[in-house]
Amino acid sequence: MNISVNFLKKFIDLPADLTYDQIAYDLTMRTVEVEGVTNTADKFHDIVAGQIKEVKAHPNADALRICMVDTGEGELKQIVCGGSNLTEGHFVCVSKPGSEVVWHGEGEPVKIKESKLRGESSYGMICGATEVYLEDIFPPKDEREIVDFTELGIECTAGQNVAEVAGLADVIFEIDNKSLSNRPDLWGHYGMARELAAIYKLPLKELSDELPTGLPEYPVEIREPERCNRFTATKIDNVYVKESPSWMKSLITNAGMRPINALVDITNYVMLAVGVPQHAYDSTHVSGEQIVVRLADEGEKLLLLDEKDLELTHDHLVICDTEKPLNLAGIKGGKFDSVLDTTNSVILECAVFSAPGIRRTTAYFNEKTDAALRYEKGIDTQRAALGVSMALSLFKEIYPDCVIKAFADNYPVKTENAVIDITQDFLDRRLGEVIERSEIEDILTRLGYEVEFSDGVYHCKAPTWRSTGDVSIHDDILGDIARLIGYEYFKKRPLPVNFDSSVNQVNADLARRLREYLAFRCGMNEIFTYPWIDEKFIHAAKIDTDKSVRLATPPAPELGILRSSLVPGMLESIDKNHRYFDEFAMFEAAQVFEKGEYSPSSPDEVLPVHKNLLTGAFAGKDAKTLFYKAKGVIESMSGYCHFEPLSFKQVEKPSWADEKVWLNIMSGKEVVGALGLVSVSALADSGIKMISAAVFELDTKKLTAYPSRTNEFKHLPQYPLVDQDLSILVDESVKWKEIKDAIGMMVKELSFVEEYRGKQIPEGKKSIMLSYRIGNDDSTMTSKQIEKKMGAIVNVLKKKVGAELR
Amino acid sequence: MLEKLEQIREEGFNRIAETSDMDKLEAIRKELIGKKSELQEVLKSLGSLDPDMRKSVGMKANEVKNLFAERIQARQQELIASASAVEGEIDLTLPGIEVSGGALHPITQMCYDLNDAFRSLGFEIYSEDDISSEKYAFDNLNFAADHPARASMDTYWIEGTEDKRGNERLCLRPHLTGGSVRYLLEHGAPARFVYPGRVYRNETTDARHERAFFQYEALIVDKDISFSSGRVMIEAILEKVFGRKVNVRMREGFFPFTEPGYEIDMECLICGGKGCKACNHAGWIEVMPGGVIHPNVLRSANLDPDVWTGFYTNIGLDRLVMMRYGVDDVRLFHSADLRFLKQFK
Repeated sequence: MNISVNFLKKFIDLPADLTYDQIAYDLTMRTVEVEGVTNTADKFHDIVAGQIKEVKAHPNADALRICMVDTGEGELKQIVCGGSNLTEGHFVCVSKPGSEVVWHGEGEPVKIKESKLRGESSYGMICGATEVYLEDIFPPKDEREIVDFTELGIECTAGQNVAEVAGLADVIFEIDNKSLSNRPDLWGHYGMARELAAIYKLPLKELSDELPTGLPEYPVEIREPERCNRFTATKIDNVYVKESPSWMKSLITNAGMRPINALVDITNYVMLAVGVPQHAYDSTHVSGEQIVVRLADEGEKLLLLDEKDLELTHDHLVICDTEKPLNLAGIKGGKFDSVLDTTNSVILECAVFSAPGIRRTTAYFNEKTDAALRYEKGIDTQRAALGVSMALSLFKEIYPDCVIKAFADNYPVKTENAVIDITQDFLDRRLGEVIERSEIEDILTRLGYEVEFSDGVYHCKAPTWRSTGDVSIHDDILGDIARLIGYEYFKKRPLPVNFDSSVNQVNADLARRLREYLAFRCGMNEIFTYPWIDEKFIHAAKIDTDKSVRLATPPAPELGILRSSLVPGMLESIDKNHRYFDEFAMFEAAQVFEKGEYSPSSPDEVLPVHKNLLTGAFAGKDAKTLFYKAKGVIESMSGYCHFEPLSFKQVEKPSWADEKVWLNIMSGKEVVGALGLVSVSALADSGIKMISAAVFELDTKKLTAYPSRTNEFKHLPQYPLVDQDLSILVDESVKWKEIKDAIGMMVKELSFVEEYRGKQIPEGKKSIMLSYRIGNDDSTMTSKQIEKKMGAIVNVLKKKVGAELR
Repeated sequence: MLEKLEQIREEGFNRIAETSDMDKLEAIRKELIGKKSELQEVLKSLGSLDPDMRKSVGMKANEVKNLFAERIQARQQELIASASAVEGEIDLTLPGIEVSGGALHPITQMCYDLNDAFRSLGFEIYSEDDISSEKYAFDNLNFAADHPARASMDTYWIEGTEDKRGNERLCLRPHLTGGSVRYLLEHGAPARFVYPGRVYRNETTDARHERAFFQYEALIVDKDISFSSGRVMIEAILEKVFGRKVNVRMREGFFPFTEPGYEIDMECLICGGKGCKACNHAGWIEVMPGGVIHPNVLRSANLDPDVWTGFYTNIGLDRLVMMRYGVDDVRLFHSADLRFLKQFK
């Protein structure tokens, strides 16, 4: 919202030494966020009034004239111009070199330079209204017409800045609307002036709330008093469509609206001043000379001012005559009730509609009009009187011959002042310092509260303009006091300390250790993907979507399913990255969802089942290597991350896994996850080519964190150990586990070195290289002992797994 | 004979001095004082000399032998002192072997940095689940029944629940604040905790807007703490993120779950508060909202607002990470693009 300083000055005298930046700062700190301060004269720099002294023909162009112009710079300047209304002696609008104008009223502003037009030099430009941002104030009759101040009856001097001549010199505060959402009283210049008066302890001009008396009653029937709290209608004859006075047009323009004609401008001006929207109806379009405020019938139609055809429901409030809906109450005028060029009598509506209904209807039709923006914040009913009074005095000023024929004030619901008690003790404790009673009373009085103090309690009566929901509890009053003093003046206070126990959260710690393990030890990169995943990847992973949770209004049609596994997201991420990397590893920790029953906080709230999954992927060329990399990550995980150990078993193949290469991950007897190569079909359906991937997925809620580090100390061997490597030839079907079971107990340590198949190895066989470590606990092994042990190992391998030495 | 010894000594010294190779030095040692050396031959032939000569030649030969041993050892030490483990040329400008490390997501990094700061202030770390109900996401938090955030234009409702109300209407949580009541219901007061997480809004995305983004919220609930204590939390966050004290200011703001509420600005780090393009010439940048917990929220958590009070603050992690590193497109955080993620070690 734009707040114009000129507009504010109608209600408050701002001290000369108060800068606009200071006002912006104080409003920002205490009331609303000022996003910018603009001087409207800025864009009119070097655009001045100039007097045409002489008009000559152009030797080389019939459509152009050469003018000698007094621009207030001493000597006359020669300007070439094609305007249709160049008159000697008249004051016109001149853009001097350096000024910025919009060429022919279109496109971005361009900088004016001295130049030559058809061989004749031209100092600057004599401008039409559209070229110098004046079309709203001085609408041109045709595109060759230049702005002629003399013709418009505006007095000026040569060289005077045009912003000043046109009454547009103003300073605008741009207010962030969001920061105004709880302050309906500030949606008008009067409210903002009142706030400034409170901040700076300045007097505020009082507005009249006098209503017309002694007139015939204009019939108004309110059928929904909860929705329409007050409705005033004033019938005014002897009016006609004409331009508003320029002071009014410039204030409306500076406040961010466009002048239309005086009848409409009066309603907008009043809205911008006191914040209560108004609407002017052409009297002849109100059939039956009666207004009815009612809910629409289901399916009833209404054509809006902008030709939009609405189909109404029984929740929509409409203003009707005896036959039909005229407009959407408090939101937008209708096609048939609004002011026309032929209008000579109006009904002026100044009403108060309650906020919730306006909000619902606005949202339903997506009509965020200026009126709706104000009503949906909650306007006090008392404000309607200020609006009527101001509008009628403007009518009398602009249409001295107008006649007020009838008036109605149907006023079923009155905004009551909020009455709140707040204790000195509460204020002292929550403010953290003691504020004098006199200061508290002064602040509250400045803000319009009526305050009485007795027995340590302030009895506060809030003004009606703060009583539509904004101020309702004592905390609101505390906030008002604190902000008027200024938050920056309160001393910072340390947080209270309570040393009764340390923070010890094993599960939060485990979650962090897992991610740090994967990133720092396993060389994987953490990724985040969205909880809604393209169905393509869900289907590629063959995930059963029967139990999936879905979004009612997904970001896109194919993104409606919320994930129940992180694997589809991993597939999508592999697809994205494999054009840039040959080998890469990623992981993601996130929640997934599944239909079911889960009540984390209270039994009456039943949510879908949430799992915390940790999923990793290794992508690259060699599938086997990828699988063993992933397996290695899981094998070392519990040791490094300090939780109950994991083991492997084939229980149930995950849907996305390769036919052969998969394992379930077990914690004790419980399946806590899976590990495997991504199936060829899942890769193909994901569009992933020329690359394989191994994936693991773990349900981390099922891991049992150790309360502390649990590594155990083992004594170092007292006598030397002997290292041996051994290459054996076994059948393809022999598993490492069999070898380990066979000789694991005979040695101190046993490790797998490599597996080999190749030319020297017969078909159906494989070579396994292993290494082991042997030794005695109580002595150094003799060479005889070593020889004997080695022989025994080879024998056992021969017997148990049919191994031959290579 | 003595002249010959003199000659052997002279030649031997030269050879020792000229050698710059440890292996060759060893060979020279053998040749000069080994079993088959000339010197050894001389010593072996002592018997055939007359006694006078024998004595002086023997002394001389032993002296030369000792001198050789000394010189060789000295030369050895010289060579070790000037030796290199690498033979031949080495290009020291070649890059080192890359460390094969992964990385946490920059959002996680920021989150853990903040967790460390808040742990040091005695805060617990809490996480709420991603799916919540209207009751916890809105009703408990003093949102008006027709607050626009409840509309499906703003919040992702779960299919099949969108037309229900309260605890039966489920959504991807639109903010973290609902988690505050869950924690307080479970743990009671006093309490101090942070609850980082991802939130979801039905928005049109662009470089500055996302549908899924991360927040970091902190709440302290205690008796008689004044709102000015809340500044400690705010300063802790910013000091941790930017590595130094950052000036902050609190100004009027409005949120349904606070009374009073604040917008919190930090001094622009680029211009130091003087005003520049980055801060729109204000000298301050809006970084987070905060405020005193609204009495109705305390009531939702079964706490008496006459006894308890508290202070919230909530910071957008995406925006903070963007400011920390100069990232200019928020959508990169969910892109899973390793070219982006590998930049954050």
